[in-house]
Amino acid sequence: MQSENGFYGQYGGSYIPEILYSSQQQILHAFEEAKNDPEFLAELNKQWQQFSGRPTPLTFCANLTEHFGGAQIYLKREDLNHSGAHKMNNVIGQGLLVKRMGKKRVIAETGAGQHGIATALVAARLGLECTIYMGAKDIERQYPNVFWMKQLGATVVPVTTGAQTLRDALDEALRDWSSSHEESHYLIGTSCGCAPFPEMVAYFQSVIGNEVREQSVAQFGQFPDRLYACVGGGSNACGLFLPFLDDKDVEMVGVEAGGKGLELGEHSIRLSHNLGQPGIAQGFATMFLQDDAGQLQETHSIAAGLDYVGVSPIIAHLAEIGRIKMTYAMDDDVIAACTLLLKKEGIIPALESSHALAGAFKDAPNLPKDSKIVINLSGRGDKDIFNVAKAVQDETFPQFLTDYLASYPTNHADHKEQNA
Amino acid sequence: MSQLADFIHQKRQQKPILSMTHVVYGYPSVEESLSWMERLMQEGVDFIEVQFPFSDPVADGPSIVAACHKALEQKLDVETCLSQLGKLAKNFPDSRIVLMSYLNPMYRFGLDKLAKRAAEENILGLILPDLPIEQAATYQAACKANGIDPVWLVTPATPKDRLAMLAGQASGFLYCVARSGVTGHSVHEGKSKVNVLDDYLAEIKTHASAPMGVGFGLRHREQIEQLTGKADIAILGSALLDAYNNGGQDQGIKLIKDLFH
Repeated sequence: MQSENGFYGQYGGSYIPEILYSSQQQILHAFEEAKNDPEFLAELNKQWQQFSGRPTPLTFCANLTEHFGGAQIYLKREDLNHSGAHKMNNVIGQGLLVKRMGKKRVIAETGAGQHGIATALVAARLGLECTIYMGAKDIERQYPNVFWMKQLGATVVPVTTGAQTLRDALDEALRDWSSSHEESHYLIGTSCGCAPFPEMVAYFQSVIGNEVREQSVAQFGQFPDRLYACVGGGSNACGLFLPFLDDKDVEMVGVEAGGKGLELGEHSIRLSHNLGQPGIAQGFATMFLQDDAGQLQETHSIAAGLDYVGVSPIIAHLAEIGRIKMTYAMDDDVIAACTLLLKKEGIIPALESSHALAGAFKDAPNLPKDSKIVINLSGRGDKDIFNVAKAVQDETFPQFLTDYLASYPTNHADHKEQNA
Repeated sequence: MSQLADFIHQKRQQKPILSMTHVVYGYPSVEESLSWMERLMQEGVDFIEVQFPFSDPVADGPSIVAACHKALEQKLDVETCLSQLGKLAKNFPDSRIVLMSYLNPMYRFGLDKLAKRAAEENILGLILPDLPIEQAATYQAACKANGIDPVWLVTPATPKDRLAMLAGQASGFLYCVARSGVTGHSVHEGKSKVNVLDDYLAEIKTHASAPMGVGFGLRHREQIEQLTGKADIAILGSALLDAYNNGGQDQGIKLIKDLFH
C-alpha cells in the first residue's frame, strides 16, 4: 500500500532523532530503486524460493470445516517457511537491500526471538555482522531462541531498561542505530517504525497475499470471502490483506491479543474497544497503549510475538476507515484453538497464529457453507513447546525437565558466556 | 528578536561561554529535582534544560534513561511541572529554564497549550528531539504566537543543505549535537574527532544567525575550552547526572565549577 509521504491517514510518518535523518533517507531511496529493479526482484524471488521454500501451500481443512459446519476453512501455510514463520519474507528482502546499500552490519530487535532468529539466519547467509537486542525478561522466557541466535553467530544483547521486553529492545536498537548508522542497517521485524519501514515490510510480506490470490482461484475458482490474520506489529496481516485491498468483496478480520483481561497491562488490544489512543513514539504515529499522560504502558499476551504496545500504522488506518474489522482472542480461547488444530488437522500452530484461528473459529459456524475463508497460519508452534505444555498442564513435562537438568554437564560454565 | 536569543546575547557580553545544565524533572523525586534546579541557579548556571520524562526516550543514553524510568515510578503531570518551573524561575532573573521532552507526552498535553503555558511561565525554549521540522508547522506557529522558540537540533550526520535549512530557521538557539549516538557515556557512542567538530561548528556558523549550543558527550574541561569562541552555550547533561548520582548536589556543583570556572 502506497503511503502519502510516509503517512496512512493520520498514522505513520517519520519521527526520529535528527541524527538518523540521513540513514532514513538512504533507506527510503534504496527501497524505491530496488523495488523497481527487475534484477533485485529476480534475486528476491530466487531467495524466497531457494532459501525459504516459497511458495507456501494453501491447505484445505476438511475436518475443521466439517466440525464447525459453516465456512470452508483454508490455511495459508507461512509456518512452512524456513525458520518456521512469515518473518523470513521480510528479512530476506531487507537483507538483500543491506547488501545493495553496501552496509556490513544489521541490528534487530526481537520479542519472542522469531525475528531475531530470522535475522541471524539471513545475516549468516549474507555474511553480515548481526546484533540482536532482546529484553532481559524475554531472554529468560525464550532462551532456546537466544541459543540458536548465538549459534548462528549473532551477538545477543540483553536490554535491562524499563520493563525489559520488546518495547525496550526496540528503543535500544534505535539507540545503537543512532551511533552506528554509517555502517549498520536497522532491520525492523514488523511493519512499524519510521517511514519507509511500514511500507517496506508490508511490501516484502505481500508475497503472502499475492500467492493466495493465485492459489485461491486455482484451488476453488474465486477469491476468498474472508481473510483472518493475527495482529501484533501487523506484518503478517499486512502481507495477507494488502494484495486484496481493492477487492471490495473480500472481508478482512484482524485478531489482537486479549490476553488475560481488558485491564491495562493484561492485554495487547490497541485497535478495538477504544483501548489504544493515538500517539507518536518509537519513530511513528499510531495507536498506542498508553496512560492519559502519554506514557507507554505494559502489555500482555500468551504469545510473545503479539505483545507490542503499538501497531502498524497501515493496519491502524485500515481499521479506522473500516476496511479491516478488528477483534481479539483471549489466552484461553487461543490455547483451545491451537489444540483443536492439532487434533483435527495435524498441524502445530504458533500461539500468535492461534489468535487468528480463534477469531476465525468463532465466526466459522455462522458463515454460509459455500463461503471460503483463509486464515494466515503465520508460524509453526514448535517454539511454544514450554508454554503450551504448561497451558495444557502436561504431567510428564516437569519430570522431563528435571531429568534433563540432572544429566546436563555443568563443568563448562566459562564457555557459556562466549557469545553473550 | 527572540527573547531567548536576546537573553543569550546579553549574557555573552559578560561570559565567553554560557552553561546549560540538564535536570530530569521528578528524579529522584519531584521535590528533590526542584531543589537541585534551585541550587544550580543559586550557583549561577545560565540555563537549566529540564527534561520532562517519557517512557521511551530513544535519543538518550543509559544515565538519563534510568533517571526517566525512576522518575516515572510516580505519576508526573506536565501542567504541574510547568507551574513549578515558572514559580522557581521567578526568583532567578539571571537564569532561564528551557523544557525538553519527547513528542508523545507533549502531544497528549497539546502542543498549542504547551506553547501558551510555557510562555506564561517564562520558559522561552522547547526542545523535542523526535519532532522533525517537516512535521512541525503548527508547533512552530504556536511557539511564534506565544513568543517562545522551538529549538532545532543539527548533527554531524545532517546533510549540508538540510543543515543550512535548519540553521536558517533556528531562533532562540540552535542545538548542535557534537557526535553521533545518544546522550552520555554508553556503548552507543559515535566517534568524534576534534578537528571534525571545529569544522562542523564553523560550517553551522556560516548559516546560523541564532546562537549555538553544543551538547552530547561533554564531560571534560578541555572540551568546554575547545568550544569557547565557537559556540555560545555548552550543554551538560549525562556527565552532570553521573556526578549527581555519585555524590549528590555537591559533586554536581563541583563538576560545574571544574568545567566552567
